[in-house]
This record gives sequence, C-alpha cells and structure tokens, in this order.
Amino acid sequence: MIRDSKTPYWLVGITGLVFILLYGPIFVPIASSFFALKQGVVDWQQPTASAYVTLVSNEGILVALRNTLVVGGAAVVCSLILGIASALYVNSGRSKDRALLQFIIFLPFLMPPIITGLALLIYFREIEFDRSLVTVIIGHTVFVLALVYRTLLVRLQSLSRSLVEASYDLGASGWQTFRYVLLPNLTSAMIGAGILAFALSFDETMITLLVTGTDNTLPIRLWAMMRLGFTPDINALVAVILAFTTLLCLLAARYLMPRES
Amino acid sequence: MTTERLLLELKAVSKSFGQTEVLQRIDLAVRDGEFITILGPSGSGKTTILRMIGGFESPSSGEILLDGADISALPINKRPFNTVFQDYALFPHMTVAANVGYGLKVRGVKNAEIETRVGEALQLVALRDFAGRFPAQLSGGQRQRVALARAIICRPRLILLDEPLAALDVELRRQMQSFLKDIQREIKTTFLFVTHDQEEAIAMADRICVMNSGHIQQLGSAHEVYYRPASEFVARFFGDNNLVEGRLGPSSGDRRRIETPLGALVCAIDGQPHLAAAPEGAAAYAVFRPEALSLASTGSSEENRAHGLVTGLHFAGAHTLTSIRAGGHEPVNLRLRLPSKVEGVALRAGEAADLYWRPSECRLVLK
Ligand SMILES: Nc1ncnc2c1ncn2[C@@H]1O[C@H](COP(=O)(O)OP(=O)(O)OP(=O)(O)O)[C@@H](O)[C@H]1O
Ligand SMILES: [Mg+2]
Repeated sequence: MIRDSKTPYWLVGITGLVFILLYGPIFVPIASSFFALKQGVVDWQQPTASAYVTLVSNEGILVALRNTLVVGGAAVVCSLILGIASALYVNSGRSKDRALLQFIIFLPFLMPPIITGLALLIYFREIEFDRSLVTVIIGHTVFVLALVYRTLLVRLQSLSRSLVEASYDLGASGWQTFRYVLLPNLTSAMIGAGILAFALSFDETMITLLVTGTDNTLPIRLWAMMRLGFTPDINALVAVILAFTTLLCLLAARYLMPRES
Repeated sequence: MTTERLLLELKAVSKSFGQTEVLQRIDLAVRDGEFITILGPSGSGKTTILRMIGGFESPSSGEILLDGADISALPINKRPFNTVFQDYALFPHMTVAANVGYGLKVRGVKNAEIETRVGEALQLVALRDFAGRFPAQLSGGQRQRVALARAIICRPRLILLDEPLAALDVELRRQMQSFLKDIQREIKTTFLFVTHDQEEAIAMADRICVMNSGHIQQLGSAHEVYYRPASEFVARFFGDNNLVEGRLGPSSGDRRRIETPLGALVCAIDGQPHLAAAPEGAAAYAVFRPEALSLASTGSSEENRAHGLVTGLHFAGAHTLTSIRAGGHEPVNLRLRLPSKVEGVALRAGEAADLYWRPSECRLVLK
C-alpha cells in the first residue's frame, strides 16, 4: 500500500487493524486447507493437498458442483433475457408502471433472502409446483435479475438516445435497431452482468435451501457437511468457492469497466 | 435550383410539452431544392420543429404536409427525410463504411450495390480512404462528413440538419459551411438547416426563418431579414443594429417619417404595407445598420443626419466599432462601423462627429 504523504499514520493504523480483524478470518480456512488436521487441530508443520484429493473423489460434491453449474447457467440465461426486455422497456419512456416494474425487480435483491425464499416456497406449495432444480433456477433468477437489469439499464442509458433515433431515421425497423445498434453496444455489459449473476448464484444459500427439493448445490452441500463436523475438505471447499467467486468478480469488472471511447 | 414548388408545409403546427407551449401555430413552407435555415436563440423551438418534421415528435395540433399530403401518421422510418444529428450519432461499433451503408442495408439493398453507393457517397464527402476506420478514430469535421454521407446515401427528399457545425472550431466551421453548400448544389436536395448563429445563416441560406420563443418572426432571403427586419426582435438579433425609438409621422409613397430624439428621420417602407397602414403617433423604432452610417454627406436633401460625441472605439480587426452619443437632452447611443486602417480610424474618443445615412438604409419596425 502506498501512503499518500498527507494521510496521517493513525488512519493507516486503524484501516490496517480493521482489515486484519474483519477480513483476516477469510484467509484462515484457505491457509489451513493446505495443512493436515490432527485431532481437530490444524498442524501448521505439515503441508498437504490431501483435503483437495478427498474433495474431488467425493461423489456427492461432484454432483453438487454439477447442479450449481446448471442452476447458475440457467439463471444467467433467464435473467439476461428478462433483464434486457425490462431494461429496454423502462428506458423507452417514463411512466408509473415503469417505476413500479423497476421497484418490483429490485425488491427480491433488497429483501432478506429468507423472506424471498419463504415467499417462493409458499407460492410453489400453493400452486403445487414440485420443488426441484427448476424451482432453484426460478429462485436464483428472481434474486439476480435486479443486478442484471440494473447493469443493462445503466449501459442503455449511457448510449446516446440519438443512436436509436438515427437508426429509425435511416429506415430501420424496431427489430433491426435492436439487432444492429443496441445489441452490439450491450454485449460487454451482458457478459459482465452474466458473470456477476453467475457468481451470485454460485454461492447463494438461503433461497436455495428453502426452494430446493432433494438436489444439492455446493453451498448446500457445505452446509450439510458442516453439521457433521469440521473436516479438512470443508476448508478446501470454502477455498474453492472463494477462489472461484473472486475470479468471476475480477472478470466481471473487466467487462463492466467503462471503456475509453 | 430552387423552384416555387412546395415540398413540405407546416400548417398551424403547435407543440406543447405538458403545460408549456413551445411552438405556437407555426406556418412554414419549404420549397423544393432550397437551402432553408431556421435561426433563433436557444430555446426558441428550432429543434422541436425539426424533430416534428423528422417524426421524432408529433405535433399537438396542426398538420405537416409532404407534396400536399398529410404525413402526421407516417412513422420515422417511413419518412423520406434523413437527419444529421448535432452529436453526429454515428454508430460507434461500425466502421465508416458500415455507418454510411446502414440505411441501404436495413432496406435490403444488395451488398454489391451498397458497396458502390457507399464508395460514391464517401467520394462526395472526400473520405474514401477512411472507409475502414471507426468513428472514434476520426476528427470532428470528418465525423460530420460521415454523418452527412450517411444521410444523403438514402437519397432523401429533405435533409434535416440540427446545428451540425456547433461543435466545430471557427476555421473548420467556415470550411464546412461552404462544403455543405457545395454538396447541396451538387446533389440538388432540399436542406433544412438549424442554427443559432446569424452569420452562419446568412452565409448559407437561400431563405432564413427567424424564430423566437415559439413564433416565426420573419421568413425571407438573407438580404431581406438583414436589411428589412420585420420586428424589433429581428432587428436586434442581427448584431449591432442601431434602434432609435420614436413616434410615426406622416408617410409619402415609399417613405415614412419618424419623430425621434435625433429629430425627424426619413425611413424606407417599400414592400412593407403594414408600415404604411400604421397610425400616426404609433410607437416605432428607426433601424439602421452601423455600416450604413457615413461621416461625409452626399449632399442629398432627404439624407438623415445626427451630431454627437465619440465615446469609444473598439478595434475588431477589419473594422472598428465606434460608439457615439448623439441627440440633445435625450441622448441616444449610436454604433458606427468604420473600416480599420493601420494609422487608426478618422475619429478619436471625445471628438465631435457628424453622421449621415440614406433613407433607403433606414427601416422601421413597430414597437
Ligand atoms: N421533451 C421536452 N419536454 C419538455 N420541454 C421540452 C422538451 N423538448 C424541448 N422542450 C422545451 O421546448 C423549448 C424549445 O426547445 P428546442 O429544443 O426546440 O429549442 P432550440 O431552439 O432547439 O434551442 P437550442 O438552440 O438550445 O438547441 C425549450 O424551452 C425546451 O425547454
Ligand atoms: Mg436545438
């Protein structure tokens, strides 16, 4: 960290302390996942990758991983389609129903996940919709839509209105304008939003727990494993999820950064 | 190339946004093949007129006729007009060639034909070598020309230009003005050009439509609006004019007198019957241009004259604008434009000066 000459030392000190106290614990499981465990205590003298070996040879975890990827992929596709449609609609004018739509899209993202999850659970029970990965996908889509929608809307709003007008002016239809002018200018926002949505879906736990049937996703699996006791592969799983999510966020940032024109 | 045939007519067109009426019963007829300019200060409604013609806004009342037929219900993409936007609105992800060819592509024109016509259009705006570039790799003037090529390639009946030169620096502006004018002559298409710069309007237009706060103040040739303003607003809008307030006196033929603090002035009223009809004693202004004032008498008896003191000299390159306080107990400030010389102009600050100007260069506008 480079210290600006005007920053007082005490401020650097407090920031450093906060950083270690709050974020330090995140690194403990990562570090300990590379060491052997003896009678429930990490032996810092014995580095080993055995936790990871156990992890990949665990059938249940591999199934959970597959489920997670399926759910994430499907939620991304659904939220992108719905996100584009609603962002285009909201951006095309100003009215009460647009404001309402926007509010509703934001709601599940802002509410405690347990409320969103419970609401969905009750709803599925009411309409007698069997719980499965499909309900998980619906739950995740509802949850990540706000983020995808917002990202796309911001990009749309940053495009000059006259681009769309110029397209119509030159004789293009609504579909041609979308296909040739809007979509190409939205691609990087779509990729960025998609990756973020995937990252969110990847470690979503609360809603999944409530609306899933017998299928497990990785976080749910982790949850279940922890109830049986603290094992090295829990550390390894935490490390894997953390690493993957971080990677996705870095990728997303790359696509969502404003490009110099 | 101007014919008397009308291409487009706005009839009693009004436009309101919510409670505010930004255009009030506009009547405007655009002739086929002319270069017509809408000139007015910011907020006067110029863009709104253009957007209604283009189909981006619809009139609150009134009708817009193309070749005599109402086009109010025609959507933007069906109107045979193309717009050059103020911010160019070039598609950032397409090359220059793709931008220019866009209008043909969406109409389903064959690729081979698009290619030749894009080549021709780029040739016309002298950008052949730039076909493969992206808009971000072009200068302001080049972007402007791409926008123009993109508009003319569809062979529209009318090209709408909304302050297309506003973002360019002075030198480039001049070049683009004559460039646009040349192109317009070459492709023989009607241009409707919006600007708030009077010099630009005068330099380019066959006819100028002067607007102020939602009204058309005057529509006429550049010469007409410059030398024969129809209202106080127009008289003041074309910079530095002298306006001297007074009361109308008797008229005789093409001349009408006005009593002012400078004494009785004789003004020309030919071609403006409403001035002949105005009652005696009505409040009006005598209007004369700073370059119409001369320091030497021609000896004619009809000549207007004023005597005053020089209060200031403002060197402005080719000419020097001189302020003169004239008249008796109700002094009037007059502006006089003299050609600059290396040794200075004939007057010094504080000197007395006699000014003369011909009745034909003195017009009237009602207050
Ligand atoms: N969409 C809109 N909603 C409300 N008011 C508007 C809208 N568009 C324009 N106006 C108002 O209408 C008036 C005329 O606007 P317009 O853009 O036509 O002016 P203009 O002559 O083009 O000005 P400028 O030279 O600044 O471009 C302005 O007072 C403006 O605030
Ligand atoms: Mg405007």
